Amino acid sequence: MRVPLLRTGAGAAGAVAALGAWQLAATAGPLADSPLPSAADSIGRLAGLFATPELWRALGDTVVMAVAGLLLATVVGVLLGVGIGTSPLAMHATRVPLEFLKPIPPIVILPVVVLVLGPTMAMGVFLVFFGCFVAIAVQSAAGVFDTDPVARATGRSYGMGRGEILTRIVLPSALPYIGTAIRVAAPTSLIVAVVAGLLGGGPGLGQSLLLAQISGDQAQLFAYVLALGILGLLVQGLSQWGERRLLHWHPQYRKEAR
Amino acid sequence: MVFTSSIPARTSVARRAGRSGTPRWVLIGTEVLVPIVLLALWWVASANSTNAFFPPLQVILERLVQLVQTPAFLVDVGSSVGNLLLSFVLASVIGVLLGAALGLVRPLAWFVEPTIHFFRAIPPVALVPIFVSLIGFGNETRIISITLAALFPVLISTMDGIRGTEPTLAMVSRVYRIGWFDRLVSVTLPAASPRILSGMQVSLITAFVVMIASEMLGSSTGLGAATLLAQQSFAIADMWVGILVLGVIGYATTAVFTLFRRRVLRWYLASQQQEKNA
Amino acid sequence: MTSDTLRDAPVRLSVRGLAKSYDTKRGSVPVIADLTFDVRVGEIACIVGPSGIGKTTLLKCLTGLQSISSGQALIDGRPIDGPPEEMALVFQEYTRSLMPWLTVEKNVRLPLNHLRLPAAEREERIRGALAAVGLAGAESKYPWQLSGGMQQRVAIARAIAYRPEVLVMDEPFASVDAQTRFELEDLCLRIREQFGMTIVVVTHDIDEAVYLSDRVIVLGERPARVTEIIDVDFGGARDQLTTRAVPEFAELRSEVFELIRKAG
Repeated sequence: MRVPLLRTGAGAAGAVAALGAWQLAATAGPLADSPLPSAADSIGRLAGLFATPELWRALGDTVVMAVAGLLLATVVGVLLGVGIGTSPLAMHATRVPLEFLKPIPPIVILPVVVLVLGPTMAMGVFLVFFGCFVAIAVQSAAGVFDTDPVARATGRSYGMGRGEILTRIVLPSALPYIGTAIRVAAPTSLIVAVVAGLLGGGPGLGQSLLLAQISGDQAQLFAYVLALGILGLLVQGLSQWGERRLLHWHPQYRKEAR
Repeated sequence: MVFTSSIPARTSVARRAGRSGTPRWVLIGTEVLVPIVLLALWWVASANSTNAFFPPLQVILERLVQLVQTPAFLVDVGSSVGNLLLSFVLASVIGVLLGAALGLVRPLAWFVEPTIHFFRAIPPVALVPIFVSLIGFGNETRIISITLAALFPVLISTMDGIRGTEPTLAMVSRVYRIGWFDRLVSVTLPAASPRILSGMQVSLITAFVVMIASEMLGSSTGLGAATLLAQQSFAIADMWVGILVLGVIGYATTAVFTLFRRRVLRWYLASQQQEKNA
Repeated sequence: MTSDTLRDAPVRLSVRGLAKSYDTKRGSVPVIADLTFDVRVGEIACIVGPSGIGKTTLLKCLTGLQSISSGQALIDGRPIDGPPEEMALVFQEYTRSLMPWLTVEKNVRLPLNHLRLPAAEREERIRGALAAVGLAGAESKYPWQLSGGMQQRVAIARAIAYRPEVLVMDEPFASVDAQTRFELEDLCLRIREQFGMTIVVVTHDIDEAVYLSDRVIVLGERPARVTEIIDVDFGGARDQLTTRAVPEFAELRSEVFELIRKAG
């Protein structure tokens, strides 16, 4: 009982110390003359931003791009993955293209996507989609492929058809893989949505960051970065909670979660 | 082509199990043919393209050959790759050292962990405008942004890896009174190395993304800057060359790292395999 | 070494009223109530008892890995309050107690680094230990390339090379096949002869306890107490076939079995 309390206390103290160090560096330290805004200024500005519609609109745009892109990636990725996982021929056919696409982040194709779609929400959604779907497809395929052959055979011996085996046996057993893939993809979707605004001129918090930087408004810039950090924590927490919530029944998940 | 995906390993299992009715040579043939067919399709489909955004592949490749002979292009590539590698190595070394310290000294970890997790939650590209605004558009900005962004995945995975060390090994170290240096180098770090290397893999991709972002954001050197400049000045073939070369760099660095990881973790992969078969 | 000289040998390991309890959320849970026994120099003592009786906990206390709640464990009259340098431990889980990233030879070498031995002696100890367990030639293999029995031999070789005065083993042969188990039991007898070590073995196998021991310490009740200490007088030279065939073996075996059954 006492250790968790001590731990939380130490963590809070650490956060306060970090803020204090920032404040001190910006006001008294060798960085006092630099453009570094103080912690108090930045946090104050952030608090002020919460009262403005700009922040909420930017936040909404970013979240919409991230969620829409992630949803699209999930639908396409799972369909593709299930297709690949059930057919060895499809698996071999898609292996090289997928392996080539996997390590390539969407920022690489950003120039051409901006060219085609313009600095729009659609551009952001497409980039998020591109950034997430390969990993989801590969994981879904692995999940389908790892289905217990005994379970499949059992289904067949009970006279289930192909479709029924797929929906009743294969998909549920692939679910933890898909769940994990989406959990990993969720923070990525947020990052890519920010990239779309920051570098692609799309709407959202990325654009807000860029504008603050261009206008030289340091406190505003730091306030937005803090807001992004909070949003990032929320996304992480939410996706972990969602995965646990949806899959707590699954033995494989229980094993992995340990 | 060797790669760490769950798929190839299982493909071989499937082949052995003979689960597919399709003959093996058809499967391997497909695997080799599909990329060739895709490239050929691109070549043919774009051959007579009048769409300004999608020039013929032939034009792009010819432009690539021309650009490779210009010093400016080579300087851009050199700058990008140099920054990427330098920052990745810096981030890995600092990340492992800091992560080891935090993994071993529990109270220290309690103190800084929430702050670290907050930093990690900030999208790494958002660090770029901060350093641009603080120290300008110089190369240091790029190196610092990339290094800092790539630091967190290694740091956190090192910390977790060290904490997750098999307790029996810790007891072995105590019973045999193994010295702290031997314990760190021969027991703790190797035991954490699978996690550390997974973290480094994430760091590498993060570094790659932030490298491009740092060049696209108001810099004039580097492949990212050149590609964005080409796009803005409607030098579409140049833009495509940039995209292709960036793609190859991303693919190649990951591939090299994967080989390195396999080499270092040979013991781990082999013992995992053994456990699976047991 | 005969049984008589063993009985006169000085006490190496002495356990006096040892008790151990764990602190949990619901208060203190006693695992070991009161243990008292001695192990003399050069003896093999086996600790047996029903499963879950706290044998592993006892070993952790003896090797200084865990603190003792009350009472004492002494090595050569010195209280144990941390891993003593003259002691080595062979764990039950050989897969987890060897470093999979080190070769067999380096696994054996690792504990020797801090002993500051002359190089020649260090090399000789490594070579000798590997030869003693029948692993000469496997130096550059990795643990995961070996069978379970072989891996446990590596763990034993590591302990032998360390030259402990007291070798403690926690169900060392529990997860190997029967043939290997016999071989490792004889290996255990051989290293006692060869290196004069005092050996303490925790086992759940009654035959093994009788075959190996000069003294069987039977634990019973929960929290654990010593139910009985049985002397075994087969002397130093034993043989899997003939020793197990003598009538006394069967008698001792039933005696221990009966004690454990009552204790369980």
